Amino acid sequence: MSRSQKLTPLDKRILNRIQQEIPFICRPWDKIAKSLKVSEPLLLKRIAFLKKQGVIRRISATFNPRKLGYFSTLVAIKVAPVDIEEVARKLNVYPEVTHNYKRNSEYNLWLALVAKNRLRIKRIIAKLKKDKRIKQVLELPAVKLFKVDVNFKV
Amino acid sequence: MPEKIDKKIISLLSQDISLCSRPFEKLALKLGIKERILISRLKAYKKSGLMRKFSVALNHRKIGFKHNAMVVWNIPDKLIDHSGSLLAVLTQVSHCYQREKAPGWDYNLYAMIHGKSKNECLNLIKDISRQISCKDYKVLFSSEEYKKTAAKYYSLP
Repeated sequence: MSRSQKLTPLDKRILNRIQQEIPFICRPWDKIAKSLKVSEPLLLKRIAFLKKQGVIRRISATFNPRKLGYFSTLVAIKVAPVDIEEVARKLNVYPEVTHNYKRNSEYNLWLALVAKNRLRIKRIIAKLKKDKRIKQVLELPAVKLFKVDVNFKV
Repeated sequence: MPEKIDKKIISLLSQDISLCSRPFEKLALKLGIKERILISRLKAYKKSGLMRKFSVALNHRKIGFKHNAMVVWNIPDKLIDHSGSLLAVLTQVSHCYQREKAPGWDYNLYAMIHGKSKNECLNLIKDISRQISCKDYKVLFSSEEYKKTAAKYYSLP
């Protein structure tokens, strides 16, 4: 039924390892392969397969937006259930919208935004408020970060 | 502030990079710099905290973590650090922030909780709420993912 049942024990070991830091050396995969006691070509083959299956979304770095001079925030929106799909699609067009989830609450659409500056966020929010289908908008910027670490035990 | 070349590096690295034996050699070629320069810059970003993590991002639904709850608590300001630190050590919690309150929205502590079942999430949330002595909270399960991408840096108009 679920994809997790199709993962081999090796795939699970690989996934647990590569969710952690990938080292900044010439051949990072070779080093990881050695620690998993497999060959580099086999590791690359399994990662390519898991990527194709959609289990791996991407190989990338995450940055601290504030340290790059960017501004990030969370936005909660109240929208009539009949309009939610259409409004969500419209919001997805903004490259600043990184996450967009429907949630079971009076505020039913939740967006994460990363933008060049606060003004850009303010402009996007002002636009949202003009959309008649959107009943209410809350901007909920972070005051303090306690944790960001996405690392699932597979 | 990052220099021009740093902006290019950050823009590239924040999106999916190609899978090959020498990924930094390939990226360096694209950037027109030496592999060892790229590697030393990347190490510097990590050290300064500009970069949080270079790793693989998974689709958690596809590895069995099908349920994802955003929990919001209304915590007195003086207790928020204690509560946040308590949440931060839990492996099921991927994100935890203190956020500003808003009119009609009195919640200030946020956590993303992942589980293989709704009950697993709910039990953990009950446990946490007891530990931080907070009864004023909401659990918002996600029912649809409309978008989930990496932030784009230095590539917007």
